[in-house]
Amino acid sequence: MLFSTVLALTIGCIAFILAWAGHGNPRPDSLRGRIQARGWGLLLLPVAMAAAEMAGGARGLIPAELGLAVLAIVCAPKLAARLVPYGVLALAVFGFHLARAYHGNEVTSRVQYLFVHAGPAGQGHPALAPAQAAVLFVAGLWLLLRVDAPGAGLVRELAARWLDRRRGGISVVHALPLLLVVGVAMQLLGPGDWFGIRAVDGLDVAIIDLTLATAALVLIFRSRAWAATLAAAGLLVLGAYGWLIAVFWPGVDGFSYCFSDLANSSAPSPLWTDAFQGSLLLALGLWLAPRVMRYHLVEPLNLSDPELAARAQQLTRRVQTLTQTRRDAVDTAAAELRRIERDLHDGAQARLVAMGISLRAAERLFPTNPGAALALVAEARESSSQALTDLRDLVRGIYPPVLADRGLADAIRALALDVPLPVELDIDLPGAIELPVASAVYFSLAEALTNVTKHAGARSVRVQLSQSLLAGGGGLLRAQVTDDGCGGADPAQGTGLAGVERRLAAFDGILAVNSPPGGPTIVVIEVPCALSSPKTSTY
Amino acid sequence: MRIVIAEDLYLLREGLVRLLSAHGFEIAAAMASAPELLEALVEQRPDVGIVDVRLPPTHTDDGLRAALQARAQVPGLPVLILSQYVEQLYARELLADRAGGVGYLLKDRVFNDEAFAAAIRTVAAGGTVLDPEVVGKLMTRRAEPVARLTPREREVLALMAEGRSNVAIAQRLFITEKAVSKHAAGIFDKLDLAPSDDDNRRVLAVLAYLDS
Repeated sequence: MLFSTVLALTIGCIAFILAWAGHGNPRPDSLRGRIQARGWGLLLLPVAMAAAEMAGGARGLIPAELGLAVLAIVCAPKLAARLVPYGVLALAVFGFHLARAYHGNEVTSRVQYLFVHAGPAGQGHPALAPAQAAVLFVAGLWLLLRVDAPGAGLVRELAARWLDRRRGGISVVHALPLLLVVGVAMQLLGPGDWFGIRAVDGLDVAIIDLTLATAALVLIFRSRAWAATLAAAGLLVLGAYGWLIAVFWPGVDGFSYCFSDLANSSAPSPLWTDAFQGSLLLALGLWLAPRVMRYHLVEPLNLSDPELAARAQQLTRRVQTLTQTRRDAVDTAAAELRRIERDLHDGAQARLVAMGISLRAAERLFPTNPGAALALVAEARESSSQALTDLRDLVRGIYPPVLADRGLADAIRALALDVPLPVELDIDLPGAIELPVASAVYFSLAEALTNVTKHAGARSVRVQLSQSLLAGGGGLLRAQVTDDGCGGADPAQGTGLAGVERRLAAFDGILAVNSPPGGPTIVVIEVPCALSSPKTSTY
Repeated sequence: MRIVIAEDLYLLREGLVRLLSAHGFEIAAAMASAPELLEALVEQRPDVGIVDVRLPPTHTDDGLRAALQARAQVPGLPVLILSQYVEQLYARELLADRAGGVGYLLKDRVFNDEAFAAAIRTVAAGGTVLDPEVVGKLMTRRAEPVARLTPREREVLALMAEGRSNVAIAQRLFITEKAVSKHAAGIFDKLDLAPSDDDNRRVLAVLAYLDS
C-alpha cells in the first residue's frame, strides 16, 4: 500500500513536470520550480522503496531508505537524479538474478519482486519476474540517457555504432506490430489470474482486451513513433518470454503461449512451437528496435563534431549573407523601377502628351490658319524626337543595347570608346557570361570609369577583364580598372562605389579599392560565374 | 537610284518605302530579316542598302553584321545603317575597311526627310555620314593626333563626319567655301593624310578621329 502511494505520487510529480515542460522556465523558488528542479530525482523514492521491499522489508528498513532518498532529493537534487537510473538498473539485475535463482530452486522462501511474488508456484507467474526485470532494464537505460548520468555518453556511442547513421522516419508499417503485441499479450493473459486479479468470467477479460486494443489503435494513429516503440519493446519481451517458456517451463498444463492453443486443446504445447513463435516475435522485434531507437536516440546533427560545427557555422554565415544581399537586391530593384517610372512619367510620357496637344491644336487651326498649324506639327515632331532621346537614355540605363547585342566584351569596348580619356583595354573572356552577371559587371565598370573621368584627374586608364577557372569547377570573372590619377577614392564616401558593392554582392561578387592619396587608384571586381562554351552564331 | 530596305517592323518598313518613293528613289526590295538582306545586297547590288541594326533571327546586331558581311564580299557596297541608338564601336566597325560609302544614323533622323534623302545620296556617292550624336561623342576625345587641330578645324571635321559637303559646312559655320577648303587642307595636313581623292580623304580624316 505504501509502495503504491509513493509510486503514484512520484508518477504524479513527473507527469506535472512533463506537462509544464513547454511553458517556459518557472521561478526557482515557486512550487513548480522546486518540483521541476528535483525532476527525475523524485524517482529515487519508488526505487528506494522497491529495494527495501525486496530486501525483505525488515522493520525500519523502508523508513530508513525512504528517509535517505528524501534527503538526497532535497539536498542534492542533481545527485539524486543521477542515482535514479543506476537504482533502476540495479533492480533489473536483481530481477534477472531472482529468476535464475528460483529456477535453480536455491531460494525457498517467498520473495517479493515488484508486483509479483516470485515465490513458489501458485502465488503468481514466476516468469513475470524476468519480464519485469527486462522492462526495468530498458527503463534504466532510457533514464540514463534522459538525465545524462555518467555513462550516458558510452551508451549513446554504443547505440550509435549499433545503428547505422541513416535517419529514417517511422511509418504506419512500423507502428502496426503494436496490434500483434496487444493480441499476443491478451492471449497470454487469457481468462484467469491477471496480476493477482482473478477474472470471474470471460467478460472481464473481454473488457480489458477491448480497452487495450482501442488504446493501441488510438496510439497508432496519434503517435506512430511511440506506438512503434511500444511494439518493439512488446515484441522483444514476448519473444524472449516464448523462449523462456520453451526452455524453463515446457509442458506446464493449461498454459498456452501465443497461438498454441487456438485449437482449444488443454494439452501442453510442444517446446518447438513456443520457441518458433518466440523466435518470430523476436525477429520482428529486432527488425523494429533499431528503427525505433534511431528515431529516439540519434540526433539529426551531432554538433559536438567539430567538422559539423564548422559547417553549421559556415551555413549560418551564408544564410546571413544571403538574407542581407537579397534584401539589398530587392531594394535596388525597387529603387530602379521607381527611377524608371519617374523617368517615363517626366520624360517620354510628358512629351507624348505635349505632342497630342500640339497635333490637336494643329487640327483645329488647319482650316483657318494653315501656317500656324504647320508650326505646331513641326513642334509635335520635335517633341517626338525628344521623347525618343529620353527613351534611348532610359534604355541605356536599364540594359545597354551593345551588351544585349554583343555581350560583355564588346559592351566594355563600347563603354571605353565613350570615355574621354585614352583607355587601354585588355579583355580576355573565353566563355559566355550569364546576362545578370554581365549586366552587373558592366554597370560596375561604368561607375568606375565615370569616377575616373570625374574625380581622378587621370591622363589615362587601363581596363583589364579576364575569366579564370576555379578549383571548384566554376569560373571567376575579374575586372580591374587602373588609373594614373590623384587617388584618395573611398567606397565608404559617396554612394557610387557602395552601390557597386551591393550590386555585386547579389552575385557573391566583391569590390576592392586601393587608392592611396596621390594615386594610382586600382579598382578590382571579382564575380563568380559559370564557365560555358563561347557563344557562336553566324548565318 | 535603287535601294534595298531591311527593317523588321512592318510600319517602319512601309513608312520608309513610302517616304523614299516620294523622294524619287526606286525600292528594289524590302525585307524583314538579316539572311534575306545579305542575299539581296550581294545579288542585287543596290545603290544603297538601308539597314536596321536589330533584325531577326537573333534580334541583336544581325543587320549590322549582314551589312559588314556584304561589304566584305562586295567592297565599298554603300550601306546606311539605321538604329534606335548609336555606338562609336559600330561606327568604327563600319568605317574599318576605309572604303567609304557608309552611313550610320539614328532612326529619328528620318523625320527630317530632306536631310535623310541627302544622306542617302552622299552614301551612294561613297561619302561618310555619321549621326551627330556619334560625332558629338567623338568630340569629347582629347587624344593625339586630333588634339593638334584648332577648335575651328575640329568643328569642320565634325561636320565632315556628319557627311556634309564643303558648301553645307560653309553655310553652317557662316564662312566662305574657300575658308572651309583651307580648314580641310589643314586637317588633312595635321592628320598626315596624303593628297588623294577628296572624298576618300574625308573618310580617312573621320577614321583618324575614331582611331585617336
